[in-house]
Amino acid sequence: MQVRVRCKMSGKITWLIILLVGLHLLLLLAGFVAPYDPAAQNRELPYAPPTRLHLWDSSRFHLRPFVYPWSPVDDGYREDRSQAYPVHAFVRGDSYRFLGLFESNLHLFGVENPGKCLLLGADAFGRDEFSRVLYGGQISVAAGIVATAVTLFVGSVIGVVAGYYGGWIDETLMGTTELFLSLPWLYFLLGVRAFLPLHVSAVRTFFLLTCVIGLIGWARPARLVRGVVLSSRTRNYVSAARGFGGADFYLLRRHIAPETFGVLLTQAAMLVPRYIAAEVALSFFGLGVNEPTASWGNMLSALQQYSVLISYGWLLAPAAALFVTSVIYYLLADALHSRLESR
Amino acid sequence: MDGTGKVLVAVRGLSVAYTLANGSRIPAVDDLSLAIGSEEIVGILGESGCGKSTLANALLRLLPAGAVCEQGEILFRGRNLLRMSERELRAIRGREVTFVPQDPALSLNPVLSVGSQVAEILRAHLPLGRKQRRARVLELLGEVGFVRPEEIYDAYPHQLSGGQRQRIAIAQAVACRPALLIADEPTSKLDAPLQEEIVALLAQIRRKHGTAILVISHDPAMFAGFIDSIAVMYAGKIVEIGNTAQILRQPLHPYTQALVEMAKSAVGAPVRTHFASIEGESPNPAAFPVGCRFEPRCRERMEICVQRYPPSFVPMPARPVSCFKYGE
Repeated sequence: MQVRVRCKMSGKITWLIILLVGLHLLLLLAGFVAPYDPAAQNRELPYAPPTRLHLWDSSRFHLRPFVYPWSPVDDGYREDRSQAYPVHAFVRGDSYRFLGLFESNLHLFGVENPGKCLLLGADAFGRDEFSRVLYGGQISVAAGIVATAVTLFVGSVIGVVAGYYGGWIDETLMGTTELFLSLPWLYFLLGVRAFLPLHVSAVRTFFLLTCVIGLIGWARPARLVRGVVLSSRTRNYVSAARGFGGADFYLLRRHIAPETFGVLLTQAAMLVPRYIAAEVALSFFGLGVNEPTASWGNMLSALQQYSVLISYGWLLAPAAALFVTSVIYYLLADALHSRLESR
Repeated sequence: MDGTGKVLVAVRGLSVAYTLANGSRIPAVDDLSLAIGSEEIVGILGESGCGKSTLANALLRLLPAGAVCEQGEILFRGRNLLRMSERELRAIRGREVTFVPQDPALSLNPVLSVGSQVAEILRAHLPLGRKQRRARVLELLGEVGFVRPEEIYDAYPHQLSGGQRQRIAIAQAVACRPALLIADEPTSKLDAPLQEEIVALLAQIRRKHGTAILVISHDPAMFAGFIDSIAVMYAGKIVEIGNTAQILRQPLHPYTQALVEMAKSAVGAPVRTHFASIEGESPNPAAFPVGCRFEPRCRERMEICVQRYPPSFVPMPARPVSCFKYGE
């Protein structure tokens, strides 16, 4: 496809895209960035608070930050100052598969055993919350992106068919669309999930989940795409191309589909955070991804207990990650939308 | 007929009608017959709303939704276009019968380079490789008068002037060396000097490649010296056919006479004090009169004119005309 639209990207969009790429790289390289295996437990450190990074010890300043290990006391944890563990970059630790391709045990940072560097504290099993936020983000964000792809694919096929062929096809499809738009999607999601088996492997759950989420949301993009197709179908250059012997599929591919890209892009930026939130909601209720696989949703489900929520605030980290991710996506969607409008 | 004498397109008894949303039927082209010889340039002359654009669209079977060819046949090289499948039509459109659109500013996709839009037509119809296509497009661009085809190839429509865009549209139309080119008001969006250039270009295309051309216009002045024969159309019917020079010099039908007179007065007057026009309005297609359709505006109306539609009389050799002045 040689659609070359020469235009300057506005600075705002560029920055947001750079931010998003950085965020996704961070998640993609979770194995390397995270210092620990997300499932590795430290039974002697349940609900350990975030490890403090120190630069000063009792006598002098250190260029390299160091940590003191937590030692349990009656009402929580206390730093054991008898031994300091400096934080090193590129250390060997738990093994992981780099990008799912090959085995590695190199980590961006870490401290020597038995010291622990728990940047965001630990959960009930003493698992490193920071590592779990990164690994959990892989699942949650991937679910959002895959579900968005499913939605946009189904939505644009239905929208294009309805808009291009019109008539009773259009009426039937748009009637169905109305039906789907009027569904209360969260309850529908819970209902559909309730029909599916509860105990299946993490991978299958993931795909079931994304398909269910993705198949619910196609109605809105379908409608928007239909609108674009409807108006571009009657453009003179489309009828001219038909007059020069262009077949339906050619007209759609060459002249009509490219016009829907702007709408699809904006929709994608809006749907990804929404679908991440959907995965988080389902997993939060225990209907999504199951332990021990981390996802932002099932990590937050520990906070269903009020005592946990008020005592161990660092366990809200996945919510913060979700918030930041969503804000970036929504800002991008907004910027793309206003760019589309101003054209 | 000036061409080779062989008939390329024969329209016989064609009726096209629009059906409105409220169910009423509007005939746009009514029992119309017309022949276009190969290598001939035929002009259709008529006011707006007389059905000339509908006729042009019918020739490519590209009628808008709601319009139907109800009767008649359109024979292209002896094959009836009205009985062809979409697939057969696609093979003819752009390859053998093509058109120059009215407004190339709208008929070119704004986000594709103009060269690629000419190449698309070659790709649809001819088995050429990528490089051959590009070479062919450059050749075509040169042929329609671009001095530096290479630069034009990668330009986008908005970077070109109206005249240049019209040339691109003509390059598209002649890309596959069609047998018939339909030009619907090819110069209506251009100013006078450009109009002449485009007309000259069309004439040159016919000379070089023997393409038959059907030109549709409301302006008799445009036809002089360029078109072989003229068919004058009024309210969905052809009222007079003849050699261009004869029609312009000695129009037979009162409607043609009025048109030609108007065009002459427009050319003659150095400063136009008023716009010449034919009194009255063309009849409402939903309720055409039984008799001659020009009768309400005609200066020479007779009693018989309201009773039935005049058949075709031939008062002079090769000059059929539908008017009771020439017989009964």
